[in-house]
Amino acid sequence: MKTYVLNLAIHPPAACIGGKRLEELVFDVTHRALASAGIEREEVDNVTIAACDELDGRSISSMLLAMPAGAYMKDEIKCTDTGLYALILGALRIESGLHDVGLAVSWNKSSTAPFEDVMRMRCDPFYVRPIGLNATIADGLFARAMADKFGITEDDVNEATLRAYARASRNTRAVGGGIPTPAEIANSPYVSFPLRQRHQAPLTDGAVAMVLVSERWLARHPRHQPLARLAGFGWTTDGYNLGADRLSNLRSFRRCIEDASSRAGLHSLDEVDVLELDCQTGYHAAAYSRALGLSGDERTGPSGGAFAQNPYFCSGLVNAAEAVLQVSGSAGAIQIPGARRALAHASHGFAQQANGAAIFEKAN
Amino acid sequence: MQSTPVAITGVGQTPFKIHHAEKTYVELAQDAAKLALDHAGLEPGEIDAVVFSMAPTQFMGVNDADRWAVEHVWGENKPFMRIHTGGATGGSALQAAYYHVASGLYRNVLVVGADRVAETPDAQHILNLIWDRFYEHDFALNTVTMAAMVGQRYMHRYGVTQEQCARVVVRSRRHAKQNPYAHLKGDITVDDVLNSPIISWPLRRFDICPRSSGAAALVVSDLSTARRSSTKPAFINGVSSIAHTVFMGDRMGYRAEADLSDHDAFNRAAQECYRQAGVIDPAKHIQIAEIYDPFSFFQFPQLESLGFCGRGEAARISDQGGFEPGGLVSVNLSGGTLCTNPIGVTGLVRVADAALQVMGCAGANQQPDVHNAVATSIGGSEQFLTCALLGDDHLGRN
Repeated sequence: MKTYVLNLAIHPPAACIGGKRLEELVFDVTHRALASAGIEREEVDNVTIAACDELDGRSISSMLLAMPAGAYMKDEIKCTDTGLYALILGALRIESGLHDVGLAVSWNKSSTAPFEDVMRMRCDPFYVRPIGLNATIADGLFARAMADKFGITEDDVNEATLRAYARASRNTRAVGGGIPTPAEIANSPYVSFPLRQRHQAPLTDGAVAMVLVSERWLARHPRHQPLARLAGFGWTTDGYNLGADRLSNLRSFRRCIEDASSRAGLHSLDEVDVLELDCQTGYHAAAYSRALGLSGDERTGPSGGAFAQNPYFCSGLVNAAEAVLQVSGSAGAIQIPGARRALAHASHGFAQQANGAAIFEKAN
Repeated sequence: MQSTPVAITGVGQTPFKIHHAEKTYVELAQDAAKLALDHAGLEPGEIDAVVFSMAPTQFMGVNDADRWAVEHVWGENKPFMRIHTGGATGGSALQAAYYHVASGLYRNVLVVGADRVAETPDAQHILNLIWDRFYEHDFALNTVTMAAMVGQRYMHRYGVTQEQCARVVVRSRRHAKQNPYAHLKGDITVDDVLNSPIISWPLRRFDICPRSSGAAALVVSDLSTARRSSTKPAFINGVSSIAHTVFMGDRMGYRAEADLSDHDAFNRAAQECYRQAGVIDPAKHIQIAEIYDPFSFFQFPQLESLGFCGRGEAARISDQGGFEPGGLVSVNLSGGTLCTNPIGVTGLVRVADAALQVMGCAGANQQPDVHNAVATSIGGSEQFLTCALLGDDHLGRN
């Protein structure tokens, strides 16, 4: 791969960023990313946005947000799956040889969106919508399938949830808010059996912008030192219908990580020092770690993941930003010593229909 | 452009009409995907990745309906990505597919999408919601009133008349008669257009595109597949887009970098496309133009920005038959967007119709000796502009 992350910005998250319009949020994070990279907007030759109209509350959200994301008079494309795909499509643009300097930007003000209403409207109108499916119920179905598949107990999930909160509490880029007690987690009400309320990562507001550059550009600009090289990436989707096999096979999850690893030239995940996985609930954390053979592994989720901040649509790009900070040695209080390679993951759709992964390496 | 050769090897379209009551959204998308695969001579298993072309989902009332369509377009267990830049979505989706293949990571990418614009009782109400809620919603701004203001400005600046615009409609409907997929088609007169009711001055009903339902798909392939293809490929020799500010007032006057009425940001996108393809004189090298023209006057500023003629000259050349076969360039032989507008795939249909001409598969509308064709799309407040240049040769790239 010939794509590098020159620099990035993570907007300080909050449960509700009430003092800014969405346009201001996006402008601020983009402006900070460019300033951190030490380049002017004029040097950018493409902008790749990932955003969700429905969660943004607009029919074509990029109309008002492409410009704050730096796209004025630039070659701009928007994808709508997950924040991580801004990075992936941005990287494809550079890998094609047509572009050299790109912005990958994503955001979500979850606080202003009627989240479950939006999710319910994702249901096909004939079979699923009349049942009343939404994201929480889909996650409950996924949780039950994972519990059966891996023999995950509720104690395991409570422990995974507590660990995620504890890690988030050490992350200075997290929303904060304290660590719940084991009893608060274990006794919180069921929201979709076997999923309890405190097993779910709370939604937050947030945004991320990354400056991507080509190897060719770096060769011409030797004074610029990138934070990381994008070593590999992959993304796949599974089917829409939530049958028993679809809920339990984790096929898309495994496949995207295999593709990313293969492109990065890895033989096993043992060669990865940090994994930032998109775990919207404690069940996800417990299941993913078992699926990858990482149970109790200190390399997994040092940032606290979605329990640190969870701008839902954008959370995969937050994971990517945290992974980049780890390999660049700038993750602060949660730095994994000597981290040279980090994996970031995102999922989207009902019960993890689709997944994406990116592997970053320390830039030499 | 020095990147890997990339070609369109398959094209599929369903008929476009006001409503497909017999099909669901995902079945429509599947129909187009199957047609494109058959045209390319490929099996679903030979597709490595899918790019889904879908604009606002509110028209048909299922958020992110692309996820619902995954199995129907054989996207399961493959990379799958939805692109959405409003009316420019199809053009942007082609661009995204191009990157998939040009990166060297994928050999065959299916670009597919569908729309059911007439599913909603009032598409223009939804299109009011695309604007800023504080400043613009209450202006009754929608795509028709937006275009009317732009049209007034263009016609005033260059002395273009409603009759000249009406002739474009007459020509488009006539061309569409030869296009089995077109929504509106038939012989109408300039008087028919001028006597149709005013919707938003100067736009009359016949100056405005229909709300169409249907689907379109393309197979985008690498050189080795293109060489083995059963069809003559259409090489993608240039792709570009440009984004402008949403605020139309900022695109007028002496401080504006590009003027709204001239669509002159298109000039930048086109110049980038031509640079990639090595085209210096578009009128000399390009035989076919598939222009995104949901409103009758749209062809004029775009053809000027694409470099086929000077500012303010397009209407006169149009009157003289310069955009008919045998003229300066053949424009919208498919009938264009004026005759068919399934918003989420309209840009894809423009590319599809341009590709069919290059591939020699345009049926009754096929022109002889087509070597290069240009296709455009426009989204948002005429702010997202895409341009693609297709050719029958890959310009010597390996």
